Amino acid sequence: MNALPDFRLFRPASAGEAVRLNTAHASSRFIAGGTDLLPNIRRGLFNPAVLIDLGGIPEMATITESADGLRIGAGVTLAKLAVDPRVVARLPALAQAALAVAGPTHRQSATLGGNLCLDTRCRYYNQSEFWRDSIHHCLKLDGDTCRVAVKSKRCYAAFSGDVAPALIVLGAEVEVLGEKGARRLAIADLYADDGMAWLTLKPDELLVAVHVPFDDAWTSAYEKMRIRGSIDFPLAGVSVALRRDGANIGGLRIACTGVASRPFAVDGLDVIAGKLFDAAAQTIVAECVDLANRSMKTTLVDALFRRNVTPVLARRLAQRLWNGA
Amino acid sequence: MNAPDRELQRMRVPDEHRGVGARLPFVDGVEKVTGTARYTADLPAANALVGMILRSPYAHAELLEVDVTEALSLPGVRAVVTGDECDMPYGVIPIAQNEFPLARGKVRYIGDPIAAVAAVDEATAKLAISRIRLKVRELPAYFKAADARQPGAVALHDKKPDNIEREVHNEFGDTAAGFAAADLVREETYESAEVHHAMMEPNAALAAWDAERGHLTLWSVTQVPYYVHLTLARCLKMEAAHIRVVKPFSGGGFGHRTECLNFEVICALLARAARGTVRLLQTREESFLAHRGRPESHMRLKIGMKCDGRLTACQLEMIQRGGAYGGYGLVTILYAGALLNGLYDIPAIKYDGYRVYTNTPACGAMRGHGTVNTRFAFESLLDTMAAELGLDPFAVRRRNLLTAPTDTINGLKIMSYGLPECLDWVEQASGWKQRKGKMRKVGDVGKGLGMSCSHFVSGSAKPVHWSGEPHAVIILKLDFDASVTILTGAADIGQGSSTIITQIVAEVLGIDFHRIRIVANDSAITPKDNGSYSSRVSYMVGNAAAEAAENLKRLLVGAAARKLGVPETEVDWFGEAAAVLGDPDKQVSFAQIAEEALVGTGTLAVKGTFTCPPEFQGGKQRGGAVGSTMGFSYTAQAVEVSVDLELGKVTVDKVWTAIDCGFALNPMSVEGQVQGAVWMGLGQAMSEETVYENGRHLCPNMLDYRVPTIVESPDIEVHIVESIDPNGPFGAKEASEGSLSGFMSALAAAVEEATGQRLRMLPITPVRVFAALQEAAAAAAMANAEENRP
Amino acid sequence: MKSLLCLTVNGRQREDAVAENMLLIDYLREQLGLTGTKQGCDGGECGACTVLVDDKPRLACCTLAHGVAGCRIETIEGCASTDGLSRLQRAFHEHLGTQCGFCTPGMIMAAEGLLRANPHPDQAEIRAALGGNLCRCTGYVKIIESVEAAASMPEAA
Repeated sequence: MNALPDFRLFRPASAGEAVRLNTAHASSRFIAGGTDLLPNIRRGLFNPAVLIDLGGIPEMATITESADGLRIGAGVTLAKLAVDPRVVARLPALAQAALAVAGPTHRQSATLGGNLCLDTRCRYYNQSEFWRDSIHHCLKLDGDTCRVAVKSKRCYAAFSGDVAPALIVLGAEVEVLGEKGARRLAIADLYADDGMAWLTLKPDELLVAVHVPFDDAWTSAYEKMRIRGSIDFPLAGVSVALRRDGANIGGLRIACTGVASRPFAVDGLDVIAGKLFDAAAQTIVAECVDLANRSMKTTLVDALFRRNVTPVLARRLAQRLWNGA
Repeated sequence: MNAPDRELQRMRVPDEHRGVGARLPFVDGVEKVTGTARYTADLPAANALVGMILRSPYAHAELLEVDVTEALSLPGVRAVVTGDECDMPYGVIPIAQNEFPLARGKVRYIGDPIAAVAAVDEATAKLAISRIRLKVRELPAYFKAADARQPGAVALHDKKPDNIEREVHNEFGDTAAGFAAADLVREETYESAEVHHAMMEPNAALAAWDAERGHLTLWSVTQVPYYVHLTLARCLKMEAAHIRVVKPFSGGGFGHRTECLNFEVICALLARAARGTVRLLQTREESFLAHRGRPESHMRLKIGMKCDGRLTACQLEMIQRGGAYGGYGLVTILYAGALLNGLYDIPAIKYDGYRVYTNTPACGAMRGHGTVNTRFAFESLLDTMAAELGLDPFAVRRRNLLTAPTDTINGLKIMSYGLPECLDWVEQASGWKQRKGKMRKVGDVGKGLGMSCSHFVSGSAKPVHWSGEPHAVIILKLDFDASVTILTGAADIGQGSSTIITQIVAEVLGIDFHRIRIVANDSAITPKDNGSYSSRVSYMVGNAAAEAAENLKRLLVGAAARKLGVPETEVDWFGEAAAVLGDPDKQVSFAQIAEEALVGTGTLAVKGTFTCPPEFQGGKQRGGAVGSTMGFSYTAQAVEVSVDLELGKVTVDKVWTAIDCGFALNPMSVEGQVQGAVWMGLGQAMSEETVYENGRHLCPNMLDYRVPTIVESPDIEVHIVESIDPNGPFGAKEASEGSLSGFMSALAAAVEEATGQRLRMLPITPVRVFAALQEAAAAAAMANAEENRP
Repeated sequence: MKSLLCLTVNGRQREDAVAENMLLIDYLREQLGLTGTKQGCDGGECGACTVLVDDKPRLACCTLAHGVAGCRIETIEGCASTDGLSRLQRAFHEHLGTQCGFCTPGMIMAAEGLLRANPHPDQAEIRAALGGNLCRCTGYVKIIESVEAAASMPEAA
């Protein structure tokens, strides 16, 4: 029942070696915690000839602190991230998002990098081979039609990682390593609005770390809508960071997940800077969040519901931070 | 000889109570907590071939050709079987057998098995499956009961032109007169989504074909080894004597496995074709496709009531989407009407039920079989009408209580009835009088309380097969080692039947619990049992066990009398020893008694049986036999919720459940069963839903089929009421199913208090609550605008 | 392709030739015959396969056997000692934290991981730690009671 394709497994000791192995082998994939990738391989969503296990790379599994922030290795587990005292105290949205992922046993294996690179999800895609055969497949894999939007030329599978929106509002950058060396990019630039090509990483690149700045003027939080208290992917996830400037809003950032093919920062919030967080501001928050929402029929739970609750989550989180700040 | 030189303990009574009424851990619990319990997938079978099933990707199609030539020619493939292998339709109800283990002529749902292979390994099996070529002609398919019933719809089955599998119409009492006499008559529509058992153990079977003798042994996860045995004999056209069915440890069932399922027959067919041993493990997805769960139900319910809450009449139309095959379906549709009776005193009931064939996996029996959705509708409307009349939910129920012993209008016998005590406890424990209607909103969180009642049969008094045999048989073996071995065919599927049976035998014999072993479910060793369904085991097998133990005790008392040299009437029976009445020092040990008992006869095998007397097998009227049982369990429960009024999310804070189970043979086990049942009701009420799109199961996994996790599951407090049923073993009745069906309406009532909205469709998901709140807000805004218009 | 896997399973050091694409659950069940670890879903959904890897509960169905090379693996079969059942095993048995028993090995291993990290968890912590383990029989009430009872038992010597 579990037979996986007959892949080779490599376990490099450094990120550089991992990148070299990846380039050297066609049809290879990186594997970190495996909690998403292995069930997906079992369902035939990937058929790699080589897996490169990142679990043996010490530099990717550590959190290092500098004066202006943390460098968090992509291989740090979500369980570790969620309880790291620095993260809990100074980057609460990140701790809350890490803790909101799947269930506790998943988080012992699942990594920060894995959650950031999580495959997009769809009711027509996350199914067995038998199932996908019976609908003659879909645009995301082996097919030519998007089953969510039949006339669409693009895939609408939803990005469902919890951690990315927290990192967006915290102003994080990711560090990627490729054949030609390392580069850093803003976390939001890691993503593209395409269910099939949701990551902007080049084929040779590996996400090795995330840099999150400390800025104690900001408070932050993450919350997700899900049916059950555990295990479920976000139907909608929202992260908010807020800076108070005296009696007024100094700054407000909101990012969402689960409601589009990429996690995204909500635009248009600048207008409420310098104002009170009053009913008018709340309305603007709700409207801006709603405007950005792209939830589609990718989950069994109604897309309109997901769209409708996203602004509620955002408004409430902002209110909570405002009250607490 | 039993350790002849061992010093024998002088004793009066066993130091620890190990009989009935004790909170005993399960007799097979150690195996479960140490990982040594072997479930079907765990059985060692080093040389077993790997079985795999090719399933239909079509919802409804004529099978023109199934070409297995290429698959068969692959190296490592030992057998390929198709519908040609078996031309005998099967089904649990003898008059409704219309399913083939492998499709013949037609496929009727996405997932219907078409062919199967046995190969040396999984990769080869998978390859072989991919090389089977199908030619089909697709047919119109129907995924909703209403569509399947449309004029001109293509029939799924011959002789069922309207796709109506079974229609039921009956009326007990005069409903027209009842409604005419009512002060308030209300009619309302209720719906419930289809739900699935989702037992933790995926389906699995292991079949060994003895090529030399032409014999078959099948190990399976079943709740009904006997029905599996019969079906194998039928479908493989074998002598039943040449078949052996074994049920190892079983990872739950909840009704999924109360009939022989296709994979069991397919595994046997493969083993015979391959002339070897085949292991057929089913994926979780395949276990979902075998289905047999509770059907999607549309209910139109009408109730008549006097101003004081007295019921005058009730009328229910029930439409069930039955799926592609009969299965237990006709029982489900019959139960859904018949079990309107037995809980309250209702003078007149009219019932119209329709079970409809559709191109979806077949529904069947699921915990609370037949009653659950009916109970949701009934209790919901009862609440709504009570509110309209200004009556308290407890009061309206108390107004309609039965008094035992009595007969219902459809001829069901009620011999014990602890519902009043259940109501009293729940009312008090939940703080109902002080809190109901006064639950305070905190911020955006509304609070509410709801309550309901429910009941269930303690075993169907009429067996599925009219073989003339007793309903239950137990054999006790006493041997030279002075051990007692219980032989039972009752399937312990985690509900603890083996423990209950052992406790009963220990109680009657009074002997040390550890002297007793129980062997269950091997057709070569244990007596036939109808199986674990309709909550029949404690009641029927329990009674048989008590009788068997009494029979054995009689022999032992005789042996003790001989050994002590006194007449039997002068034997004082301590269990582990016996003494002369009035002279406790003159005693013989159990080992000595056993030794004496075996003199001249050898190993003792003593039997006990149980048969439901004819007067309990239902009334003589048409439909009167349905739902007949010797005892109903009764439950009252209250549910407290918090509802996030902006997100529509419901949290259950606490459940109080009181159950009249007659007598708690094992109170800890009763609590466990009730908690499990209430919680399974919670799953159906809040998050579980089988969704099909064009007949395709959209959630055949444990991620999208949302079985509640521990995080959002509430505390469930259980109170046991003992009404001491006159016919149950030590007064016991069922405890595993009745509490389930009350949960939904209690939840709906609590949500109504919290939100002002009464939801009439299950499950009550955030999506539905959110929508109801939005509609209400829109309606209020509209009304407000109207009012403010100049 | 097989390669050598060195690790410790239930206190015994092992060196086995193991296929590189083999899941930990299959290594335990098929290669070592440790069938106490259960498979209840098609991958990562139910928690029945939970085992301890260096004291942390992990899903054996989402873990490659070679991915835990050099680690200490503990399964349900390794819990009991010559002194008898472990605290959690005893509590699950005596408090009926197990009915059909299929989720039990995973549930106990997840709880074992919890108690090692947090010997006196409150109810919320128990719920949080077992959130990845589904049970279909108990409604979880007696599972929570079992973990509480185990936590209050004296630690085995």
